[in-house]
Amino acid sequence: MKIFSESHKTVFVVDHCPYMAESCRQHVEFDMLVKNRTQGIIPLAPISKSLWTCSVESSMEYCRIMYDIFPFRKLVNFIVSDSGAHVLNSWTQEDQNLQELMAALAAVGPPNPRADPECCSILHGLVAAVETLCKITEYQHEARTLLMENAERVGNRGRIICITNAKSDSHVRMLEDCVQETIHEHNKLAANSDHLMQIQKCELVLIHTYPVGEDSLVSDRSKKELSPVLTSEVHSVRAGRHLATKLNILVQQHFDLASTTITNIPMKPTFSVFDQEEQHANTSANYDVELLHHKDAHVDFLKSGDTHLGGSSREGSFKETITLKWCTPRTNNIELHYCTGAYRISPVDVNSRPSSCLTNFLLNGRSVLLEQPRKSGSKVISHMLSSHGGEIFLHVLSSSRSILEDPPSISEGCGGRVTDYRITVVPLASVIVKESLTEEDVLNCQKTIYNLVDMERKNDPLPISTVGTRGKGPKRDEQYRIMWNELETLVRAHINNSEKHQRVLECLMACRSKPPEEEERKKRGRKREDKEDKSEKAVKDYELEKTWQDLERLKGILERGKEELAEAEIIKDSPDSPEPPNKKPLVEMDETPPVEKSKGPVSLLTLWSNRINTANSRKHQEFAGRLNSVNNRAELYQHLKEENGMETTENGKASRQ
Amino acid sequence: MPTVVVMDVSLSMTRPVSVEGSEEYQRKHLAAHGLTMLFEHMATNYKLEFTALVVFSSLWELMVPFTRDYNTLQEALSNMDDYDKTCLESALVGVCNIVQQEWGGAIPCQVVLVTDGCLGIGRGSLRHSLATHNQRSESNRFPLPFPFPSKLYIMCMANLEELQSTDSLDCLERLIDLNNGEGQIFTIDGPLCLKNVQSMFGKLIDLAYTPFHAVLKCGHLTADVQVFPRPEPFVVDEEIDPIPKVINTDLEIVGFIDIADISSPPVLSRHLVLPIALNKEGDEVGTGITDDNEDENSANQIAGKIPNFCVLLHGSLKVEGMVAIVQLGPEWHGMLYSQADSKKKSNLMMSLFEPGPEPLPWLGKMGQLGPISDAKENPYGEDDNKSPFPLQPKNKRSYAQNVTVWIKPSGLQTDVQKILRNARKLPEKTQTFYKELNRLRKAALAFGFLDLLKGVADMLERECTLLPDTAHPDAAFQLTHAAQQLKLASTGTSEYAGYDHNITPLQTDFSGSSTERM
Repeated sequence: MKIFSESHKTVFVVDHCPYMAESCRQHVEFDMLVKNRTQGIIPLAPISKSLWTCSVESSMEYCRIMYDIFPFRKLVNFIVSDSGAHVLNSWTQEDQNLQELMAALAAVGPPNPRADPECCSILHGLVAAVETLCKITEYQHEARTLLMENAERVGNRGRIICITNAKSDSHVRMLEDCVQETIHEHNKLAANSDHLMQIQKCELVLIHTYPVGEDSLVSDRSKKELSPVLTSEVHSVRAGRHLATKLNILVQQHFDLASTTITNIPMKPTFSVFDQEEQHANTSANYDVELLHHKDAHVDFLKSGDTHLGGSSREGSFKETITLKWCTPRTNNIELHYCTGAYRISPVDVNSRPSSCLTNFLLNGRSVLLEQPRKSGSKVISHMLSSHGGEIFLHVLSSSRSILEDPPSISEGCGGRVTDYRITVVPLASVIVKESLTEEDVLNCQKTIYNLVDMERKNDPLPISTVGTRGKGPKRDEQYRIMWNELETLVRAHINNSEKHQRVLECLMACRSKPPEEEERKKRGRKREDKEDKSEKAVKDYELEKTWQDLERLKGILERGKEELAEAEIIKDSPDSPEPPNKKPLVEMDETPPVEKSKGPVSLLTLWSNRINTANSRKHQEFAGRLNSVNNRAELYQHLKEENGMETTENGKASRQ
Repeated sequence: MPTVVVMDVSLSMTRPVSVEGSEEYQRKHLAAHGLTMLFEHMATNYKLEFTALVVFSSLWELMVPFTRDYNTLQEALSNMDDYDKTCLESALVGVCNIVQQEWGGAIPCQVVLVTDGCLGIGRGSLRHSLATHNQRSESNRFPLPFPFPSKLYIMCMANLEELQSTDSLDCLERLIDLNNGEGQIFTIDGPLCLKNVQSMFGKLIDLAYTPFHAVLKCGHLTADVQVFPRPEPFVVDEEIDPIPKVINTDLEIVGFIDIADISSPPVLSRHLVLPIALNKEGDEVGTGITDDNEDENSANQIAGKIPNFCVLLHGSLKVEGMVAIVQLGPEWHGMLYSQADSKKKSNLMMSLFEPGPEPLPWLGKMGQLGPISDAKENPYGEDDNKSPFPLQPKNKRSYAQNVTVWIKPSGLQTDVQKILRNARKLPEKTQTFYKELNRLRKAALAFGFLDLLKGVADMLERECTLLPDTAHPDAAFQLTHAAQQLKLASTGTSEYAGYDHNITPLQTDFSGSSTERM
């Protein structure tokens, strides 16, 4: 695993001499007439690409695949050669994208067929390529700086892909010699420079391309070592799609890619929202999509020699593709898969409808599990396609037996029998132990307390363990009582630290739903509680009311982050118990359940109106009539009755009840 | 890391060893003694290790398939018969098959080969195998290197002098070399006796089977843990960074993140994190896991009742649906999470990310992660309704940016058809029409495919003549304008063929209020 292998630096040298303006002699029909509206019209004549166009679009496709799969650390330098060398970009990461290259190519334009062929040569480009290989990349620089005295460990290797139209085998030889000589010279220069690096290894890939139908004047030659620094190979390729196929094969070889074909992709109308207008009547068919990715995603197949999975690639390219079956995702459930590798992908046919349907589906955040077609019929999920922030990855899932199977459960181990891991009142618990508190700390503590009040008011269960407790365990109000006592003990232990600690205690005491004396009484006899309930009601209402007011007052300040606070505040722990039924304790106001029966028949409406009334009452002096009213009715002209010495009959005050 | 014990049961293993006392030992007895020691060690300190036992002579046999039942392994040791000659290659092929069938090709395995250093004679002998090593085809490949990550430990029931007197040692060293140097040869120091065999196996245990103990820390909460299987050292890049990285024994939790945000990350390996109770001397008392042994049982029961941070952490992560990010070393992180197996048992698990500042592209640099409170605004939103993850890459990938590829004619045809379809719906589709037109124009300019621009211009002009009488007058204007602009671009002159130049719709006004047109 080397970062600075040959594929760290790729130089494209594309011939821009007049000859490249020639047609590749492969026609493209672009005027596809639609039925039933074009009777009597002759379609426009097909056009053909030039050798230049074929070379450029094939090399762009090479770059597209490379950038998709290796957006970093694999760099391209694009050089165009005619009467001189035009270096279209640099090694910097900002220059490494298709848009930049396309814009630069557009600026160069197609070769001028009327230029003087004598002045033009691919040699200019090759010399520039060697020069550029000596230039240090950001990554090399960073690694050298980091390694200091071991800087020489940073390698400088590269690859030159030269697309040209050569005249003969001896012409090719001449080009190779030129590259070798140039490397020799530039290495001498680089030896005496801080900014340049000597080329340790250069792979020259010469592609001779010529119009379809012509005979090649250059013969293929596999990789050959010309010197310890330079290897060279020659490919003689017809232009048009043949050239594109060749570069597709090369990008796979150069970057250790492999191909996976996703099969059985259902494309239903709801699914293929990509382009409504291209919909045809019969869209419910299953499609295949071929993806390229690093070959390590196939590590399990490669090692086990499981070749029966592969069929030959649809493109007829040299490599086999491995077929994996689409498993329609059931839900969007969030699960942590055991994933041994994740590799970026690039669709072979990026703009085809099946490809874009698949990629759009994934980019929208869905994941797809992939299944190995097995002869035995057993279902083995071995991969997953998933996007992360606009990038699609092929995840390798472990499909073999786990060496960690049947582990001892955590509940059987150390601390596993402890069931009441304390409710952690965060941040109060961590804050209160500090020697001094800031205003913010106090606010945080109060926030915590109010949230607990809120939970108790709504009768939310305290998320504590039920494991190990027999039966139903303590009742909910009992749980709250224990919690409040613990909290009080904790805070009391620190009140001597500062006045601010004292304030936290005050807040706590003010918020406790029951006064301490009552607590004591409750401890003495819980059974009597129900009977006493009515008499306690007044006190409770008062307490509740007060709590509410405090809460509301604070809500304004603390609205932010409240919900997550309620969540984060109480960390429950018990290994095997189910999650608390109400994971989000904070529900909307109008969902607030009525207060528990034992606390008296106080409805939400009552609570609400009491609160409104209290708030309103502060704003003005209460009408004497309302103050003296019974059931909100004030008898008018009472004085008349009194004067008349008559008893009231309609509004018997409290005495009536 | 499962273990395969490969035991030589050829006749040479029955050679007697002269030992003190009356009883007569054979080499196979010494071997069995050493293995017994290894199995006993595993049964107490490494009890989750799966071990298989293979015996071989000219043939090989899987005596005990992978198991954690060390009694079975022990029993098998005492039931071994003697067979004919040593044939190591076929045994190693057998190991390949057994491991791959059970664990696939990704799980590292340790192979413990126990032999006396007599490497067989004739065909199938190691000498013969090595001599023919360079004449192999893919179908009869030599089994080394193993097709899975591996360590090959060769336990010789012979001392160094004996092995050096023949070329045995050289041959065995070749084996390790062939396994990419992964492994080691152990020989008996001094005379062949039980004691020296013990010390040899002791070295193996020290090297390969000592449990990895660590302290899990989170703020001021800590727990002593055993990490199983042992995390192996990792080499990032042999050239730049050849020193194997080893994980810290202080495992510090540096943060927590939602499972949805970490999103099934790729990991190097995963390990159980088992809380352990240590006594004052720092010796392990037990993992708290129930055992048959009675003394241990009570110790474990006590340990079970002492609150442990691992249990708290595990429960919290499980309830919250989060993972804890743990620092394994400089620029090296992992994650802790709750893992439930099928039987509803669950456990604290740790997975190791690849070392480096940015192991997961969708989280960005680990060093830049921080507490929510550090952010100006809560990155998760006030209602916890959003997430800062995954990070968006700076450049979109080709499949996310509607690139133009015309390598197949169908790609080109589709793009032309799109323009044509929109052309027929002018003026309603003016915007889309020009958008598609400009996309085609840009690509044609970049590819130097000027003939296409001319061709499409001709096509648009023809469309203009085919417009029905009912067509909106604007359609004709726009088509003519677009065709004209494409023709200008097809000249390639810089004035009209600028890559960043866009053809804009012709400004027309058919409202009747004005007769002036641009």
